[in-house]
Amino acid sequence: MNYLQPERLDRLAREYALGTLAGGARRRFERLLRQSPAAMVAVGVWQERLAKLADSVPPLAPRASVWQGLESRLFTAPAAASARPSPWRWLADLLSARTLGSALAGVFLCVLVLRLQPGLVGLEPQRETLPASYVGLLLDAGGQPAVLASSRRHGRQLTVKLLRPLVVPSGTVAQLWALPRDGGAAFPVAVLPPQGGGAVALPDTSEKLFSAVGRLAVSFEPAPAAPGAVPTAPFVLSGHCVKLW
Amino acid sequence: MAATTNDDLARLLAQVALRDRAAFEQVYRATCAHLLGVAFRILNQRERAEEVLQESFMNVWHNAAGFNASIASPMTWLINIVRNKAIDSLRSGRSERASTVALDDEAFEVAADAAQQPQQLLEESLARLKIDACMGELGATQRQALALAYYRGLVHTEIAASLGAPLGTVKAWVRRGLDKLKGCLEAAGVHAA
Repeated sequence: MNYLQPERLDRLAREYALGTLAGGARRRFERLLRQSPAAMVAVGVWQERLAKLADSVPPLAPRASVWQGLESRLFTAPAAASARPSPWRWLADLLSARTLGSALAGVFLCVLVLRLQPGLVGLEPQRETLPASYVGLLLDAGGQPAVLASSRRHGRQLTVKLLRPLVVPSGTVAQLWALPRDGGAAFPVAVLPPQGGGAVALPDTSEKLFSAVGRLAVSFEPAPAAPGAVPTAPFVLSGHCVKLW
Repeated sequence: MAATTNDDLARLLAQVALRDRAAFEQVYRATCAHLLGVAFRILNQRERAEEVLQESFMNVWHNAAGFNASIASPMTWLINIVRNKAIDSLRSGRSERASTVALDDEAFEVAADAAQQPQQLLEESLARLKIDACMGELGATQRQALALAYYRGLVHTEIAASLGAPLGTVKAWVRRGLDKLKGCLEAAGVHAA
Protein backbone atom coordinates (compact mmCIF):
# COMPACT_ATOMS: atom_id res chain seq x y z
CA MET A 1 0.00 0.00 0.00
CA ASN A 2 1.55 3.27 -1.06
CA TYR A 3 0.77 5.91 1.55
CA LEU A 4 2.47 8.56 -0.51
CA GLN A 5 0.12 8.40 -3.46
CA PRO A 6 -1.04 12.07 -3.40
CA GLU A 7 -4.79 11.53 -3.18
CA ARG A 8 -4.46 8.91 -0.50
CA LEU A 9 -1.94 11.00 1.38
CA ASP A 10 -4.28 14.00 1.38
CA ARG A 11 -7.15 11.89 2.67
CA LEU A 12 -5.05 10.54 5.53
CA ALA A 13 -3.50 13.94 6.23
CA ARG A 14 -6.81 15.68 6.69
CA GLU A 15 -8.27 12.91 8.83
CA TYR A 16 -5.14 13.01 10.94
CA ALA A 17 -5.24 16.80 11.23
CA LEU A 18 -8.91 16.77 12.18
CA GLY A 19 -8.39 13.93 14.65
CA THR A 20 -10.78 11.40 13.17
CA LEU A 21 -7.93 9.09 12.24
CA ALA A 22 -7.73 6.85 15.31
CA GLY A 23 -6.04 3.83 16.83
CA GLY A 24 -3.54 1.87 14.80
CA ALA A 25 -4.12 3.94 11.67
CA ARG A 26 -3.23 7.10 13.60
CA ARG A 27 -0.02 5.58 14.97
CA ARG A 28 1.00 4.25 11.57
CA PHE A 29 0.42 7.64 10.05
CA GLU A 30 2.47 9.32 12.80
CA ARG A 31 5.37 7.02 11.94
CA LEU A 32 5.05 8.00 8.30
CA LEU A 33 4.95 11.67 9.29
CA ARG A 34 8.33 11.43 10.97
CA GLN A 35 9.93 10.09 7.83
CA SER A 36 8.15 11.78 5.01
CA PRO A 37 8.47 15.50 4.34
CA ALA A 38 5.61 15.15 1.82
CA ALA A 39 3.33 13.81 4.54
CA MET A 40 4.40 16.56 6.90
CA VAL A 41 3.56 19.23 4.35
CA ALA A 42 0.20 17.62 3.53
CA VAL A 43 -0.73 17.60 7.23
CA GLY A 44 0.60 21.12 7.73
CA VAL A 45 -1.70 22.53 5.08
CA TRP A 46 -4.74 20.99 6.76
CA GLN A 47 -3.66 21.98 10.24
CA GLU A 48 -3.34 25.56 9.09
CA ARG A 49 -6.87 25.50 7.69
CA LEU A 50 -8.36 23.86 10.76
CA ALA A 51 -6.52 26.09 13.21
CA LYS A 52 -8.69 28.95 11.98
CA LEU A 53 -11.62 27.20 13.62
CA ALA A 54 -9.91 27.48 17.00
CA ASP A 55 -10.31 31.27 17.18
CA SER A 56 -13.81 31.03 18.57
CA VAL A 57 -12.88 28.74 21.46
CA PRO A 58 -13.34 30.69 24.72
CA PRO A 59 -10.03 31.13 26.52
CA LEU A 60 -9.59 29.57 29.93
CA ALA A 61 -6.80 30.86 32.15
CA PRO A 62 -4.76 28.03 33.66
CA ARG A 63 -4.15 28.06 37.40
CA ALA A 64 -0.78 29.32 38.58
CA SER A 65 0.22 25.77 39.50
CA VAL A 66 0.54 24.86 35.81
CA TRP A 67 3.36 27.32 35.23
CA GLN A 68 4.96 26.52 38.57
CA GLY A 69 4.86 22.83 37.70
CA LEU A 70 6.45 23.54 34.34
CA GLU A 71 9.24 25.53 35.91
CA SER A 72 10.01 22.88 38.45
CA ARG A 73 9.86 20.05 35.93
CA LEU A 74 12.02 21.84 33.39
CA PHE A 75 14.42 23.95 35.37
CA THR A 76 14.90 22.41 38.78
CA ALA A 77 17.62 19.82 38.65
CA PRO A 78 17.06 16.65 40.61
CA ALA A 79 18.98 16.53 43.91
CA ALA A 80 21.48 14.06 42.47
CA ALA A 81 22.62 16.58 39.89
CA SER A 82 24.05 18.98 42.45
CA ALA A 83 26.14 16.17 43.90
CA ARG A 84 27.93 15.73 40.61
CA PRO A 85 31.49 16.98 40.32
CA SER A 86 32.37 20.16 38.51
CA PRO A 87 30.48 20.96 35.36
CA TRP A 88 33.85 20.82 33.59
CA ARG A 89 34.29 17.21 34.48
CA TRP A 90 32.79 16.06 31.20
CA LEU A 91 35.47 18.02 29.39
CA ALA A 92 38.20 16.22 31.23
CA ASP A 93 36.49 12.91 30.65
CA LEU A 94 36.13 13.67 27.01
CA LEU A 95 39.76 14.73 26.68
CA SER A 96 41.00 11.55 28.25
CA ALA A 97 38.76 9.28 26.27
CA ARG A 98 41.33 7.58 24.13
CA THR A 99 38.72 5.84 22.10
CA LEU A 100 38.05 9.10 20.35
CA GLY A 101 40.59 10.18 17.80
CA SER A 102 42.05 13.59 18.37
CA ALA A 103 40.32 15.02 15.34
CA LEU A 104 37.01 13.71 16.57
CA ALA A 105 37.49 15.14 20.04
CA GLY A 106 38.54 18.48 18.60
CA VAL A 107 35.43 18.84 16.56
CA PHE A 108 33.24 17.67 19.42
CA LEU A 109 34.74 20.23 21.69
CA CYS A 110 34.38 23.15 19.44
CA VAL A 111 30.88 22.33 18.36
CA LEU A 112 29.68 21.43 21.81
CA VAL A 113 31.27 24.42 23.48
CA LEU A 114 29.65 26.70 20.93
CA ARG A 115 26.29 25.02 21.37
CA LEU A 116 26.49 25.22 25.11
CA GLN A 117 27.98 28.65 25.34
CA PRO A 118 25.13 30.17 27.38
CA GLY A 119 25.56 27.54 30.05
CA LEU A 120 29.33 27.82 30.10
CA VAL A 121 29.60 31.57 30.29
CA GLY A 122 27.31 31.72 33.26
CA LEU A 123 24.15 33.09 31.69
CA GLU A 124 22.34 30.05 32.96
CA PRO A 125 22.60 28.30 36.28
CA GLN A 126 25.56 26.02 36.84
CA ARG A 127 23.33 22.98 37.10
CA GLU A 128 22.68 23.26 33.38
CA THR A 129 25.44 20.79 32.67
CA LEU A 130 25.57 18.74 29.54
CA PRO A 131 22.70 16.29 29.66
CA ALA A 132 23.23 12.58 29.17
CA SER A 133 23.17 12.26 25.40
CA TYR A 134 24.16 10.15 22.47
CA VAL A 135 26.40 11.93 20.02
CA GLY A 136 27.52 10.91 16.56
CA LEU A 137 30.00 12.60 14.29
CA LEU A 138 29.88 11.48 10.69
CA LEU A 139 32.86 11.91 8.41
CA ASP A 140 32.89 12.01 4.64
CA ALA A 141 35.04 9.81 2.41
CA GLY A 142 37.94 12.24 2.86
CA GLY A 143 37.75 11.95 6.65
CA GLN A 144 36.33 15.44 7.07
CA PRO A 145 33.57 15.97 9.66
CA ALA A 146 30.29 16.42 7.84
CA VAL A 147 27.36 15.86 10.18
CA LEU A 148 26.93 16.15 13.94
CA ALA A 149 23.97 14.28 15.37
CA SER A 150 23.00 14.38 19.02
CA SER A 151 20.07 13.32 21.12
CA ARG A 152 19.23 13.34 24.78
CA ARG A 153 19.43 9.91 26.32
CA HIS A 154 15.69 9.61 26.90
CA GLY A 155 14.65 11.99 24.15
CA ARG A 156 12.83 11.14 21.00
CA GLN A 157 14.41 13.78 18.91
CA LEU A 158 17.69 13.97 17.09
CA THR A 159 19.37 17.31 16.65
CA VAL A 160 21.27 17.35 13.40
CA LYS A 161 23.84 19.88 12.33
CA LEU A 162 25.39 19.78 8.90
CA LEU A 163 28.97 20.92 9.29
CA ARG A 164 29.32 21.22 5.54
CA PRO A 165 26.67 21.24 2.83
CA LEU A 166 25.41 17.81 1.92
CA VAL A 167 24.86 17.39 -1.80
CA VAL A 168 21.90 15.04 -1.99
CA PRO A 169 21.42 13.72 -5.55
CA SER A 170 18.01 14.69 -6.90
CA GLY A 171 15.36 12.04 -6.39
CA THR A 172 17.05 10.70 -3.27
CA VAL A 173 17.06 11.42 0.45
CA ALA A 174 19.95 11.37 2.90
CA GLN A 175 18.97 8.42 5.08
CA LEU A 176 20.66 8.05 8.44
CA TRP A 177 21.32 4.47 9.63
CA ALA A 178 22.39 3.04 12.95
CA LEU A 179 24.86 0.15 12.96
CA PRO A 180 24.72 -2.09 16.03
CA ARG A 181 28.05 -2.91 17.70
CA ASP A 182 27.36 -6.64 17.49
CA GLY A 183 27.46 -6.48 13.71
CA GLY A 184 23.67 -6.82 13.39
CA ALA A 185 21.80 -5.30 10.48
CA ALA A 186 21.75 -1.53 10.09
CA PHE A 187 18.37 0.03 10.85
CA PRO A 188 16.94 3.33 9.64
CA VAL A 189 16.93 6.27 12.07
CA ALA A 190 15.77 9.34 10.20
CA VAL A 191 16.07 11.34 7.04
CA LEU A 192 18.54 14.19 7.35
CA PRO A 193 17.45 17.70 6.42
CA PRO A 194 19.25 18.68 3.21
CA GLN A 195 20.82 21.80 4.66
CA GLY A 196 21.59 23.57 7.89
CA GLY A 197 20.16 21.02 10.23
CA GLY A 198 17.42 20.97 12.77
CA ALA A 199 15.55 18.54 14.90
CA VAL A 200 14.18 15.32 13.47
CA ALA A 201 11.87 12.97 15.29
CA LEU A 202 13.13 9.53 16.28
CA PRO A 203 11.05 6.34 16.04
CA ASP A 204 11.82 5.62 19.73
CA THR A 205 13.87 7.04 22.60
CA SER A 206 17.59 7.43 22.02
CA GLU A 207 18.30 4.99 24.80
CA LYS A 208 16.30 2.26 23.10
CA LEU A 209 17.69 3.03 19.67
CA PHE A 210 21.34 3.75 20.32
CA SER A 211 22.40 1.91 23.47
CA ALA A 212 23.81 -0.97 21.41
CA VAL A 213 24.87 1.13 18.43
CA GLY A 214 28.53 1.75 17.66
CA ARG A 215 28.34 3.64 14.40
CA LEU A 216 26.06 5.83 12.35
CA ALA A 217 26.09 6.11 8.59
CA VAL A 218 24.30 7.91 5.77
CA SER A 219 23.34 6.62 2.35
CA PHE A 220 21.38 8.29 -0.45
CA GLU A 221 18.19 6.28 -0.78
CA PRO A 222 15.43 6.69 -3.36
CA ALA A 223 12.87 7.13 -0.56
CA PRO A 224 12.83 7.36 3.23
CA ALA A 225 13.55 3.86 4.58
CA ALA A 226 10.64 2.10 6.24
CA PRO A 227 11.12 0.31 9.54
CA GLY A 228 12.93 -2.96 8.86
CA ALA A 229 14.47 -1.71 5.60
CA VAL A 230 18.18 -2.13 4.89
CA PRO A 231 20.51 0.22 3.00
CA THR A 232 20.33 -0.13 -0.78
CA ALA A 233 23.12 2.32 -1.57
CA PRO A 234 26.70 2.67 -0.32
CA PHE A 235 27.40 4.75 2.76
CA VAL A 236 28.60 8.23 1.89
CA LEU A 237 29.18 9.32 5.49
CA SER A 238 29.91 7.33 8.60
CA GLY A 239 31.26 7.74 12.10
CA HIS A 240 31.19 6.70 15.73
CA CYS A 241 28.16 6.97 17.93
CA VAL A 242 29.13 7.55 21.57
CA LYS A 243 27.44 8.01 24.91
CA LEU A 244 28.09 11.37 26.46
CA TRP A 245 27.85 10.50 30.12
CA MET B 1 -2.75 37.15 23.10
CA ALA B 2 -3.95 40.46 21.72
CA ALA B 3 -0.59 42.14 21.99
CA THR B 4 1.45 39.21 20.74
CA THR B 5 1.34 38.73 17.00
CA ASN B 6 2.31 35.63 15.10
CA ASP B 7 5.55 37.36 14.14
CA ASP B 8 6.31 38.01 17.80
CA LEU B 9 5.58 34.39 18.61
CA ALA B 10 7.79 33.12 15.81
CA ARG B 11 10.63 35.27 17.08
CA LEU B 12 10.04 34.15 20.66
CA LEU B 13 9.99 30.48 19.64
CA ALA B 14 13.33 30.96 17.89
CA GLN B 15 14.67 32.29 21.19
CA VAL B 16 13.14 29.37 23.08
CA ALA B 17 15.05 27.06 20.76
CA LEU B 18 18.19 28.78 22.07
CA ARG B 19 17.05 28.00 25.63
CA ASP B 20 15.81 31.48 26.46
CA ARG B 21 13.62 31.03 29.50
CA ALA B 22 12.22 34.53 29.47
CA ALA B 23 11.04 34.01 25.88
CA PHE B 24 9.52 30.68 26.93
CA GLU B 25 7.54 32.36 29.67
CA GLN B 26 6.36 35.03 27.25
CA VAL B 27 5.11 32.38 24.84
CA TYR B 28 3.34 30.66 27.71
CA ARG B 29 1.73 33.83 29.05
CA ALA B 30 0.59 34.90 25.59
CA THR B 31 -0.98 31.62 24.56
CA CYS B 32 -1.83 29.51 27.62
CA ALA B 33 -5.44 30.64 28.06
CA HIS B 34 -6.33 30.07 24.44
CA LEU B 35 -4.57 26.70 24.39
CA LEU B 36 -6.18 25.58 27.64
CA GLY B 37 -9.54 26.50 26.11
CA VAL B 38 -8.80 24.20 23.17
CA ALA B 39 -7.76 21.31 25.45
CA PHE B 40 -10.72 21.87 27.74
CA ARG B 41 -13.23 21.66 24.84
CA ILE B 42 -11.83 18.21 24.07
CA LEU B 43 -11.34 16.84 27.58
CA ASN B 44 -14.17 18.53 29.50
CA GLN B 45 -12.12 18.39 32.63
CA ARG B 46 -10.04 21.26 33.86
CA GLU B 47 -7.53 19.08 35.67
CA ARG B 48 -6.76 16.89 32.68
CA ALA B 49 -6.74 19.85 30.34
CA GLU B 50 -4.16 21.55 32.55
CA GLU B 51 -2.05 18.39 32.57
CA VAL B 52 -2.17 18.36 28.79
CA LEU B 53 -1.19 22.03 28.70
CA GLN B 54 1.79 21.38 30.93
CA GLU B 55 2.90 18.37 28.87
CA SER B 56 2.50 20.45 25.74
CA PHE B 57 4.75 23.19 27.02
CA MET B 58 7.36 20.63 28.08
CA ASN B 59 7.25 19.68 24.45
CA VAL B 60 7.52 23.30 23.32
CA TRP B 61 10.64 23.82 25.44
CA HIS B 62 12.33 20.71 24.13
CA ASN B 63 11.20 20.93 20.54
CA ALA B 64 11.10 24.62 19.77
CA ALA B 65 13.89 24.04 17.28
CA GLY B 66 11.48 21.86 15.35
CA PHE B 67 9.15 24.79 14.77
CA ASN B 68 9.36 25.69 11.11
CA ALA B 69 7.76 29.00 10.23
CA SER B 70 7.65 28.03 6.58
CA ILE B 71 5.33 25.10 7.35
CA ALA B 72 3.07 26.44 10.08
CA SER B 73 2.24 29.66 11.86
CA PRO B 74 3.31 29.60 15.53
CA MET B 75 -0.25 29.47 16.82
CA THR B 76 -1.11 26.58 14.51
CA TRP B 77 2.01 24.75 15.67
CA LEU B 78 1.08 25.25 19.32
CA ILE B 79 -2.57 24.32 18.79
CA ASN B 80 -1.51 21.11 17.06
CA ILE B 81 0.71 20.07 19.94
CA VAL B 82 -2.11 20.69 22.41
CA ARG B 83 -4.86 19.12 20.30
CA ASN B 84 -2.83 15.99 19.61
CA LYS B 85 -1.98 15.55 23.28
CA ALA B 86 -5.57 16.22 24.32
CA ILE B 87 -6.86 13.71 21.77
CA ASP B 88 -4.35 11.10 22.94
CA SER B 89 -5.33 11.73 26.55
CA LEU B 90 -9.03 11.60 25.70
CA ARG B 91 -8.67 8.28 23.91
CA SER B 92 -6.41 6.62 26.46
CA GLY B 93 -8.61 7.82 29.32
CA ARG B 94 -11.70 6.56 27.60
CA SER B 95 -10.56 2.97 27.60
CA GLU B 96 -9.50 3.24 31.25
CA ARG B 97 -12.86 4.57 32.30
CA ALA B 98 -14.92 2.28 30.10
CA SER B 99 -15.39 -0.17 32.95
CA THR B 100 -16.25 2.37 35.63
CA VAL B 101 -19.67 3.72 36.35
CA ALA B 102 -20.04 7.07 34.65
CA LEU B 103 -22.22 8.74 37.26
CA ASP B 104 -19.52 10.90 38.75
CA ASP B 105 -18.55 14.53 38.43
CA GLU B 106 -17.15 13.87 35.05
CA ALA B 107 -20.46 12.72 33.70
CA PHE B 108 -21.99 15.98 34.80
CA GLU B 109 -19.20 17.94 33.21
CA VAL B 110 -19.81 16.14 29.92
CA ALA B 111 -23.50 16.85 30.19
CA ALA B 112 -22.77 20.48 30.86
CA ASP B 113 -20.57 20.62 27.82
CA ALA B 114 -23.31 19.36 25.57
CA ALA B 115 -24.82 22.77 26.12
CA GLN B 116 -21.59 24.44 25.03
CA GLN B 117 -22.52 23.48 21.53
CA PRO B 118 -19.48 22.75 19.40
CA GLN B 119 -21.69 23.80 16.53
CA GLN B 120 -22.00 27.26 18.00
CA LEU B 121 -18.22 27.55 18.09
CA LEU B 122 -18.07 26.49 14.47
CA GLU B 123 -20.71 28.98 13.35
CA GLU B 124 -18.88 31.72 15.22
CA SER B 125 -15.59 30.86 13.53
CA LEU B 126 -17.17 30.67 10.12
CA ALA B 127 -18.78 34.07 10.60
CA ARG B 128 -15.49 35.52 11.78
CA LEU B 129 -13.76 34.11 8.71
CA LYS B 130 -16.63 35.43 6.57
CA ILE B 131 -17.23 32.01 5.07
CA ASP B 132 -20.53 31.33 6.84
CA ALA B 133 -22.58 31.80 3.69
CA CYS B 134 -20.29 29.52 1.69
CA MET B 135 -20.28 26.83 4.41
CA GLY B 136 -24.03 27.30 4.74
CA GLU B 137 -24.35 25.36 1.51
CA LEU B 138 -23.73 22.29 3.66
CA GLY B 139 -26.59 20.96 5.76
CA ALA B 140 -26.64 21.88 9.46
CA THR B 141 -26.02 18.25 10.49
CA GLN B 142 -23.04 18.03 8.18
CA ARG B 143 -21.52 21.10 9.82
CA GLN B 144 -22.30 19.61 13.19
CA ALA B 145 -20.34 16.47 12.31
CA LEU B 146 -17.33 18.63 11.51
CA ALA B 147 -17.77 20.62 14.72
CA LEU B 148 -17.92 17.48 16.89
CA ALA B 149 -14.75 16.15 15.26
CA TYR B 150 -12.80 19.39 15.57
CA TYR B 151 -13.86 20.82 18.91
CA ARG B 152 -14.57 17.61 20.80
CA GLY B 153 -12.02 15.30 19.18
CA LEU B 154 -14.66 12.68 18.42
CA VAL B 155 -14.04 9.90 15.92
CA HIS B 156 -16.49 8.83 13.21
CA THR B 157 -18.22 6.15 15.29
CA GLU B 158 -18.78 8.58 18.17
CA ILE B 159 -20.12 11.26 15.87
CA ALA B 160 -22.45 8.69 14.33
CA ALA B 161 -23.73 7.70 17.77
CA SER B 162 -24.08 11.31 18.84
CA LEU B 163 -26.02 12.34 15.73
CA GLY B 164 -27.90 9.08 15.33
CA ALA B 165 -26.67 8.68 11.77
CA PRO B 166 -25.13 5.70 9.97
CA LEU B 167 -21.33 5.51 10.10
CA GLY B 168 -20.90 5.65 6.33
CA THR B 169 -23.03 8.77 6.14
CA VAL B 170 -21.03 10.47 8.89
CA LYS B 171 -17.76 9.69 7.14
CA ALA B 172 -19.12 11.25 3.96
CA TRP B 173 -20.34 14.31 5.90
CA VAL B 174 -16.96 14.87 7.49
CA ARG B 175 -15.21 14.40 4.16
CA ARG B 176 -17.52 16.83 2.43
CA GLY B 177 -17.28 19.25 5.34
CA LEU B 178 -13.49 19.35 4.99
CA ASP B 179 -13.67 19.71 1.21
CA LYS B 180 -16.09 22.55 1.61
CA LEU B 181 -13.96 24.24 4.26
CA LYS B 182 -10.98 24.07 1.94
CA GLY B 183 -13.01 25.47 -0.96
CA CYS B 184 -14.59 28.25 1.11
CA LEU B 185 -11.27 29.34 2.64
CA GLU B 186 -9.67 29.44 -0.78
CA ALA B 187 -12.59 31.33 -2.29
CA ALA B 188 -12.43 33.86 0.54
CA GLY B 189 -8.70 34.24 0.06
CA VAL B 190 -7.96 33.24 3.66
CA HIS B 191 -4.41 32.04 3.81
CA ALA B 192 -1.79 31.56 6.48
CA ALA B 193 -2.55 33.49 9.64
